[in-house]
Amino acid sequence: MRHKILTVDDSKTVRIIVRKAFKAFDCEILEAANGVEGLALAAKGSPTLILLDVTMPVMDGVEMLAKLKADPALKGIPVMMLTAEGGRDNVLKIAKMGIRDYIVKPFKEETLVEKAGRIIELRSLADAPSKVRSILDPATLLIVEDKPAIVQQIQDGLKHTPWKVHGVTTQGEAADFCTKTPPDLIMISLSLENDAALTLFRLVRTNPKTKFTPVFALVVKTETAPQQAAQAAGFTAIVTKPIDLIDLEARIAKAMNLDTSHRYFSVDGNCTVMQLPESCTQSVIAEISTYMKGKLAASVDAGHNKAIIDVHKLKALHMGVIKLLLQAMQTCRELGVRYVLVGNPQIVAECRGFEDTRSWNFQNSSEEAKDHLSRAPALAESV
Amino acid sequence: MPATQVITESLIRENIHRAIADVLKTMLGRDCEITTAATQGTLPASQIRGTDEASSPQVVGTVGFIGDINGLIYLYFPLRFAEICTGQLLGLDEAELAQSSDEIVNDAIGELTNMSVGSFKNKLCDAGYPCMLTIPSILRGANFCVEPISSAQRYIYSFDSNGHRIVADILVKCVD
Repeated sequence: MRHKILTVDDSKTVRIIVRKAFKAFDCEILEAANGVEGLALAAKGSPTLILLDVTMPVMDGVEMLAKLKADPALKGIPVMMLTAEGGRDNVLKIAKMGIRDYIVKPFKEETLVEKAGRIIELRSLADAPSKVRSILDPATLLIVEDKPAIVQQIQDGLKHTPWKVHGVTTQGEAADFCTKTPPDLIMISLSLENDAALTLFRLVRTNPKTKFTPVFALVVKTETAPQQAAQAAGFTAIVTKPIDLIDLEARIAKAMNLDTSHRYFSVDGNCTVMQLPESCTQSVIAEISTYMKGKLAASVDAGHNKAIIDVHKLKALHMGVIKLLLQAMQTCRELGVRYVLVGNPQIVAECRGFEDTRSWNFQNSSEEAKDHLSRAPALAESV
Repeated sequence: MPATQVITESLIRENIHRAIADVLKTMLGRDCEITTAATQGTLPASQIRGTDEASSPQVVGTVGFIGDINGLIYLYFPLRFAEICTGQLLGLDEAELAQSSDEIVNDAIGELTNMSVGSFKNKLCDAGYPCMLTIPSILRGANFCVEPISSAQRYIYSFDSNGHRIVADILVKCVD
C-alpha cells in the first residue's frame, strides 16, 4: 500500500523539508498551507498520516484538528503535530484532542521519519512495486471470520471483480494461508475469540511477506471499544457491519492503491470516453476528478483530440456532478479537445432547469456523439 | 500555572542563546556563540548590524508571542548568510539557490525565526507565562532601524556562526 502523507504548514520551507525527509520512501506527499486546505485535502486525498502545524493563517492547526475529529469520515486519520508551539500546557491540551505524536520544531528529518514509521509502515522505494496495479488485475483477498454468512456476503458482493476472496475461520488457518499464499489484502473479524484478531494482526505485521499488506478490521458498528483497539494497533481501516459492499470495494481499491480510472475512462476509436456511473457520490466525483486531467492529457498525447462525456447512466443531477462536468469541459477546452455530451431524457430535462446548464446540448447515444464529432469542428462543439 | 520565575536579563540571554543555537545546530548543523549584548535604548542600525555589514542588505525575520507575556523578536540575517542558511536548510546547491526566488529565502528565514522564537517562548510558557506564537513576517532592507515603544523592555544580542553574524532584537512587555 502506498502511503499518502499530508503536510499542513503555512511554511513552504517545512513542506519542502517534509518532502525531502520522505523522498527515499514509497509515499506520496500532499501539501496544504492552512487548516481549510488541509481539511479539503484530507477529505479528497485520503491521507494515511497528517503532519499538522499549529500557527497558521486562515484556520490554525487546533481548529483543523477539532474539525477533523468531529468528522466521522476523517477522525480515524492519524495526526502528528509538527510545530514550534510547544509549552507543556499547550502540548497537553492538544494531546487530549486525539493525536498520535507531537514533534516540537526544530526537528531532525530522521526523527520525523522514525516517528512517522511508528504510525504507518514506511517502505523504501527499492521495495515498492514497480507497476501500478489496476482494478482489472487479479488479487487475492483473505477474510478471517468465524461467521460463514459474512464471508459469503463479501464473496457475493465482490464476485463481479477479478479478485479471489478466500475465507478462513481461525487464526491458525489464516497464518498458514499467509505463509503459503501472501494475500493482497486481509480482513479480520474483531469478534474472533480471545483477542485472536489483534494477535493475528501482529503476526501479519511480523511476517516479512505480509508486513505491508493492508489489513481491515470487521466489526459491528456499535462496538466502539474493539474499534478503538484496532485503530490503536494500526489496522489499515475499520469496516463496520452491516457491510456496505460498494463502499468496501472502493476502500479495498484504495488500500491496494489500484488504478480505478478504467471504471470511468476508456478509448473508443479516436475518442476518449468519460463515463459517469449511475450514482455519483462525493468519493466517486473525487476519484474521477483526480484522474481527469491526466487521462485527457494522455489521450491528446496519443493523438486523440475528441472526447465524449457520457452521463446517460446517471440517475440524478446535483451540484457535485455539475461542477465535475464544468471541470471536464474546461479541461477539454484547455487541452484543445473537442467534446460532446451524451445524456438521458431525465438528465437533459434537469439540465434545462439550471442557469449554468441550460445551454448544454446532449446527444442521445455514443454513436450519435461520434457522428457529431466526425463533422466539422465548428459544428461539433456543443457548449 | 503561576509564574515560577522572574523575567530577568540573564533568563532572556540564556534562553535566546539556547534557542538560536538549538535551531542552527538541529536544522543547519551550524554552531553559534553569543558575542555581544546590550539592553535598552534605540541602537543605530549600523550597531545592530555591525560596521562591516552596515551597508549590506538584511533579511529580518519577525515573530511575536502573545499571552501573559507579550513580545516580538527580530532576527537579523545579512542577505548572503540568509542565502547560505536557505541552501543548507533545503538542501539546495549554489546554482539551485541562484535560480530560486527571494520568496524561498524569505520563507526559510521566516521559519528559522519561527522555530527560534517558538523555542524561546516555550521556556517562558513552562516558567508560568503562557503565550502563543504569531505568524512570521519578513523585513528586507539596508537602512532601517526599529523604534520600540517606551513601555517595552529591549534586549539585543549578537551571535557568531562560523564568521557570520546574527542579531536578535527582543522586545518584551509583561501583562499587568
